[in-house]
Amino acid sequence: MVFDVIGARLRRAKTSDGGYGSVVGAGPEPEPTAMAALALRDADAVAWLVDAQLPDGSFGTRAGSVFSDDTALVCVALPSGDALEHALDRVVSTAGSNERGQPGPPPYGWPWTSGAYGWTEPTAWGLLALRSKRPSATARIADGLDTLVERECAGGGWNYGTPRSFGVAEPPFVQTTAVALFATAGVDESLTRRGLGALGRLWRQEAAGLLSVATAAAAFRRLGHSEAGPANDALERVIAGPTEADTVALAWAALAVGPGLAALSVG
Amino acid sequence: MDAHPHRIGRRTFLRGAAAVGAFGAAAAVGWEVRRATTPHQWDTAAFPPPDLARVAVLRAGSYDADLESVVWDGLRAIGADVSGARVVLKPNMVEYDPHGVVNTDPRVVVASVHALGRLGAASVTVAEGPGHRRDTGYVVEATGLGPALREVGTSFVDLNVSPSAPVALHSRYTNLGALWLPDAIRTADVVISMPKMKTHHWAAATLSLKNCFGCLPGRVYGWPKNALHWAGIDQSILDIAGAVRPAYAIVDGIVGMEGNGPINGTAKKVGLLVVGDDPVAVDATSAYIMGMDPAQLPYIAEAGRFLGIADLDRIEVEGEDPASVVTPFAPAPGFGRSGSLTGGQ
Repeated sequence: MVFDVIGARLRRAKTSDGGYGSVVGAGPEPEPTAMAALALRDADAVAWLVDAQLPDGSFGTRAGSVFSDDTALVCVALPSGDALEHALDRVVSTAGSNERGQPGPPPYGWPWTSGAYGWTEPTAWGLLALRSKRPSATARIADGLDTLVERECAGGGWNYGTPRSFGVAEPPFVQTTAVALFATAGVDESLTRRGLGALGRLWRQEAAGLLSVATAAAAFRRLGHSEAGPANDALERVIAGPTEADTVALAWAALAVGPGLAALSVG
Repeated sequence: MDAHPHRIGRRTFLRGAAAVGAFGAAAAVGWEVRRATTPHQWDTAAFPPPDLARVAVLRAGSYDADLESVVWDGLRAIGADVSGARVVLKPNMVEYDPHGVVNTDPRVVVASVHALGRLGAASVTVAEGPGHRRDTGYVVEATGLGPALREVGTSFVDLNVSPSAPVALHSRYTNLGALWLPDAIRTADVVISMPKMKTHHWAAATLSLKNCFGCLPGRVYGWPKNALHWAGIDQSILDIAGAVRPAYAIVDGIVGMEGNGPINGTAKKVGLLVVGDDPVAVDATSAYIMGMDPAQLPYIAEAGRFLGIADLDRIEVEGEDPASVVTPFAPAPGFGRSGSLTGGQ
């Protein structure tokens, strides 16, 4: 029942060509379309993605000289085929640049935008995409995992990707920790256990945000954690509340309670 | 209510050596302050020279004061014209902070909503795109901004995900070329930048110009908006502010942040709101109040060449004499060098 309610809200952002906008009324873009494709197992959304692939295999949005690269996330949503293989080639060949546009020493992870630093969430998607769809890319998988190890906050979990800043230990966030756990589960149990512990400590503090509570509920369910039930209850309360919801947050909510979560489960 | 409780009168700055503290020297280290002979890096037709900048420096002892009246006084003092306008307020909401030092205080935002209504604004919307947190809903609820806005019936737009479109830049300090700007910003009649008065480990001070970073959508630029920081912090500030073009600025300097800003600094009580019709002039004035020489802050100095007035002698100030309220801020550690890759707002 809850899945149906969330799904109906999510479909309001669907555009006439089968894609999804970031919110209702926005034009289609790869990221919200991929998230909706995963959450609703929407064939129209998958078809839109295939059509949206760029000649170099990537998926994303260009803003002047900045390219917002959603290729790894889209790989998780694509079925087997030429489009997926071309996109995976792109994921394998791209990496974060950790010294202002230069490679610098490893690890690199994956950036939000081409040529930028590697951050937690895009690195999690890169790692998840290769683990699930191209496990032969062992060097990049190892680099992605090393990146998440390097960026782990004290005591476990992740924020956007900076565990220390100017001498101060930065705390983990719920949303980034939850997303990263999908990438580390089944490959580094110690790292995953610490992250799950952090998520268990934090999620109630950030439960006012739909994206936070939805990602937490999804991660708890994925990992069979005892907080899955309470997090689902909190998710239902937030869904019913006044907070505006964007497509990615609603998609995570649908993943938390629906059948799409299997696509994010590797190992 | 007295329309002018702050005994507003016109004066120019009395610049004293005491106002230029540790920042004056620190800002110059390793930084190239541009000279007036540098070729234009902007389209002159898009940035006509301003002929006047008006700034009001207003006492506000605490967040429990009658802030609506203070903001209203300030807007009237600078001659703000918002009658019939669709106004967007852009506060600085970076991160939930239990001590209330990181963000523009929701009480200042709500006071501004009321004051703008009294001045005849057709609508007032509050909009922000936090740079560290993807879950804007969490930031807005946890900071109290969401409940406060619902109480006064004011809508909030998450600029990180709201509809947006690319716009060509009319300045060329970065190689970005174009920026994605939310419709809420592009179509507003009036954008008002509402920063917190804070130090910043890269930019020295983060004020109304730097606050414009939060107008750009995270769904394009990421969390944090690293591509913008790597394009050069000063250069990005100039290009982004030149695209957003806030008409007014209201700086929350009631309690600012000094030291390890913009996230991990400490509270600095100043007891002021700074309001102006030229964000460059507001930032120059605020930096001066923070104990900095704005001429030594490259992005403010350069903004004074095309975006507004940074020359303290050319800014008409109402309310408090800035020289009498200088409150030196401890600089951010690592200011002027790259010790972090996060940037921050």
